[in-house]
Amino acid sequence: MIFEILAIGLIVSSILALFLDEVVYSVGALSGTFIFTALIFYLNGAFYAAIFQFVVGIGTLAVLFLSGEMLGEQSKKKSSPAKIAGLIGAGILLSLPAIFLSVSGQTAIGPDVPIGEAIWNIRGLDVLLQALVILTIALGIGIVLHERRKK
Amino acid sequence: MDFTILSIIMLAIGIYGLLTNRQLLKVFISIEMIAIAATLNFVMLASPNGLSQALLIIAFSVDTAVSAVILALLVIVSKRYGTGDLSKIISKQETEESEDEVQ
Repeated sequence: MIFEILAIGLIVSSILALFLDEVVYSVGALSGTFIFTALIFYLNGAFYAAIFQFVVGIGTLAVLFLSGEMLGEQSKKKSSPAKIAGLIGAGILLSLPAIFLSVSGQTAIGPDVPIGEAIWNIRGLDVLLQALVILTIALGIGIVLHERRKK
Repeated sequence: MDFTILSIIMLAIGIYGLLTNRQLLKVFISIEMIAIAATLNFVMLASPNGLSQALLIIAFSVDTAVSAVILALLVIVSKRYGTGDLSKIISKQETEESEDEVQ
């Protein structure tokens, strides 16, 4: 029952995030999407994935709240209660196939590997390479913004 | 309850938002939806052991990096054209191009 409620919340919050007119409310609804996703991960036993989803979501939301006012146009019309109710209804309707239909069976395979061993022993090279990729991207963004400021 | 269908619905919502929204911020949110759909599918199809979660953490890092690049590009575009509306940006771009051709 709890997964069905979380699925409905996930779909409704994602629809609200996309189709609400006000930017701040839209970002607020996106925070609901991140929280519902993290809860689904946690209740499925993926504890570390839930924590990472939560942390990444908080970071994204912080940046979006800061840049939201800059990027978003000041909307003259506000979302009416009827529109919000329609969006929520559409979200509940869209989440029904996920609750009542089924296409996949149990595919959980593989041994129970601890997270520390998986990160540092099995996928150690991946972790180092992703750190390199993130550093390169951060430098690239810094250079692009610096060049832009000089012009 | 099927999480594959749930992630397909999330993917569909993200793609629909990507195609229909004209605000740059909503485009960014649509891309986030598509990323959430992909990670949701990955977690639900993998067993919740350490290896799958380690791979998922790598996916999260790449997703964050992609989000940072997209956001930097959005900031540059919105500063360049003074608006966050895609249709206005395109019309301003066309005006600038026609002015360049006249000169």
